[in-house]
Amino acid sequence: MGTGLGDGVVGVFVGLLGLGGLALGLGARDGEMFVFGFSLAAFSALFVRGLIRQRALLTGRVAEEAAAKTETAAHV
Amino acid sequence: MSKYRVQDGALVDGGPLTYNDDVVRKFTIAAVIWAIVAFSVGVYIATELCWPSFNLGLPWTNFGRLRPVHTSAAIFAFGGSTLIGTAFYVVQRTCRARLWGPPALANFVFWGYQFFIVMAALSYVMGFSKSREYAEPEWHLDIWLTIIWVTFAVIYVGTLVKRREPHIYVANWFYLAFILTIAVLHVVNNLTLPVSWFGSKSYSLFSGVQDALVQWWYGHNAVGFFLTAGFLGMMYYFIPKAANRPIYSYRLSIVHFWSLIFIYIWAGPHHLLWTALPDWTQTLGMVFSIMLWMPSWGGMINGLMTLSGAWDKLRTDPGLRFSVTAVGFYGMATFEGPVMSIRNVNALSHYTDWGIGHVHSGSLGWVAFISFGAIYYLVPKLWNRDGLYSVRLASWHYWIATLGIVVYIVAMWVAGITEGLMWRAYDSHGFLQYSFIESVVAVHPFMVMRLIGGLLFLTGGLLMAYNLARTIAGTKPLIPGLAAAWPVLGAAPAGE
Amino acid sequence: MRLSHAILEKNAFLLLIGTLVTVAVGGIVEIVPLFTIETTVEHVAGVRPYSPLELRGRDIYVREGCYLCHSQQIRTLRDEVERYGHYSIAAESMYDHPFQWGSKRIGPDLARVGGKYSNDWQYAHLKNAQQLVPESLMPHYAFLADTKLSTNDIVERMRTLRAVGVPYTDDQLAHAKQDLLTQADPGADPKALLARYPKANVVPGHGRPTELDALVAYLQVLGTMVNFADPATERRLAQ
Repeated sequence: MGTGLGDGVVGVFVGLLGLGGLALGLGARDGEMFVFGFSLAAFSALFVRGLIRQRALLTGRVAEEAAAKTETAAHV
Repeated sequence: MSKYRVQDGALVDGGPLTYNDDVVRKFTIAAVIWAIVAFSVGVYIATELCWPSFNLGLPWTNFGRLRPVHTSAAIFAFGGSTLIGTAFYVVQRTCRARLWGPPALANFVFWGYQFFIVMAALSYVMGFSKSREYAEPEWHLDIWLTIIWVTFAVIYVGTLVKRREPHIYVANWFYLAFILTIAVLHVVNNLTLPVSWFGSKSYSLFSGVQDALVQWWYGHNAVGFFLTAGFLGMMYYFIPKAANRPIYSYRLSIVHFWSLIFIYIWAGPHHLLWTALPDWTQTLGMVFSIMLWMPSWGGMINGLMTLSGAWDKLRTDPGLRFSVTAVGFYGMATFEGPVMSIRNVNALSHYTDWGIGHVHSGSLGWVAFISFGAIYYLVPKLWNRDGLYSVRLASWHYWIATLGIVVYIVAMWVAGITEGLMWRAYDSHGFLQYSFIESVVAVHPFMVMRLIGGLLFLTGGLLMAYNLARTIAGTKPLIPGLAAAWPVLGAAPAGE
Repeated sequence: MRLSHAILEKNAFLLLIGTLVTVAVGGIVEIVPLFTIETTVEHVAGVRPYSPLELRGRDIYVREGCYLCHSQQIRTLRDEVERYGHYSIAAESMYDHPFQWGSKRIGPDLARVGGKYSNDWQYAHLKNAQQLVPESLMPHYAFLADTKLSTNDIVERMRTLRAVGVPYTDDQLAHAKQDLLTQADPGADPKALLARYPKANVVPGHGRPTELDALVAYLQVLGTMVNFADPATERRLAQ
């Protein structure tokens, strides 16, 4: 599925940004960079988690619908 | 089973076209929330200017740190969310194409942009600012915003490219100019060198007079391209839609577009008249600012005349009433602006509250009103409702907010002209008549009046938020039959 | 017109390029010459980079958003010159990264506030403005007096500024920390400091300087660097 691949690329990109944030937070020399770095890491983690969950939901629904279709066919 | 067929995230023939409205819904909700935040912070800092004890003596509640929170929340959070949301809505419909790219990319623009706003506000109250007006965030946040903005631009241009309409509709020209120019302005104005790559502090690449012009080239065109071109895109889509009439003049839109974007860029130096900026630059800035009046009014006429034959709709459609009043305020503010750019007027008006009044007749009257119009139009459509929860409440919003604006700008006109006249007043002996603090005392009543205007505007905003929340909550029934087409998760419909 | 415009309307990339070119013209014509025309910034004597303590004070001025209520730009208007002093010239802010000209006067202009009031007045006023000017709208900055000034990255800050064009010398960088402490210590000998930073105003810090000390040192140098009574300055400005 094309969209799935695209979402994956975005996920990896955001994940990398999050790692950058983690590095900034760990090396931070002032409060602002500390807050920004770790917030960015958290943002990225949440974003990627959301993507994965949505993906799982979609896949589940596709499977469900396929199952429903087979059932209908059987009845006919 | 499904009548949709999706390929590469885009719809191909074989069913009705679906759009990525999920991201538009998110931006719409964000816009309403940020509107309330922006107006509330505005009211709070207006209180500080009436009674300074409201500063509380705490670093993070002082006027100096909260003002950027107000301006950023108004321009970038409220204005920006409306702009990006409507841009995504309009480009899909006028191109008859789903947003380019995977759904996660548009989602990234949404969440990344919200993240930017929250982080920027936090950084101001923590005491980090580049001190560039309307571009205060430090370098790391600037880079983050650049990433988001480029993604936004790629999605937008990608959608234009894969459109299934031969022509690019006029609203998209304005949205495109807004996206591209803001990118250029943002990058150049924010060129700074960080003290450390692990620290937030940075110093501007430019200094003194050059820095001042770069900043106001940015600052004025943030007005010109963020707060004008983008919202004109909104005008060119939502007014014809709501009025169910074509744009008054296609030819005028072409002239409007190219002359506006060409002339606007030159007008920045009118923020620096009578200063150490060289005279030739000041003069250029003044001349182009005055010329700017023409394309601005061309656009206004195009917007207003679109309603010919449909003026009766103003009585029944409060959203359209907001949009049309917005165009009226746009006409007023774009007349006032050139007048204030005339050197001798500027000598009086600059540094005074007249400037604040001018900005707010543009931002409240034009930007906020055209946004309200678009939002009232969008919400029932996006959530598939049979109309607003309460048209009467929207009407109340309209009148309270309009009254608020009038109170606000009248107060600021009087305050600004009072300040300007007192600063230059001489007594019979040829000495300056007033000390500075006397002008502060003299305008106190108008500061209170401004606060009342702001409170009215905020009240209207709260009515809108309530009205929209009830609309979304679905007190009115869904249109029967459409409920089935309602895509869960808003992304690509499942079961392709 | 209609015919030619259809080409742009049907091609997203042409529209994109056309837009970019159109918006680029004005900015280029107005901004680029400011960097190339020799007379944009006057060649007057006296303007020097900020001393380390003044620089830190300036950072705090930027941080607290002082520019949102106070301009630092006296316009060439009779009443402004009488109220605030000689009109501002470009040279006076040539080491200001970023500029602090401001856009609104909720309080008075500060371009020449240096030396206008005593150090004591500045301290008292910054801590509680209403005590000295009852009608003032200014917030209280007493918290600056309770905050020790962070000085550990002063050399890095100066080095960064040197990279963007402020002519700090190696000598100034080498003595940065020492100069910073000297300027906040009335007991120390300011001779070396004043040689490196003429007209620097020593503020009454006690041991380790606070953020308020730095801010006062900055305020007290504002507008004092150029000597407008000097005929040479006048000749330069007339050119």
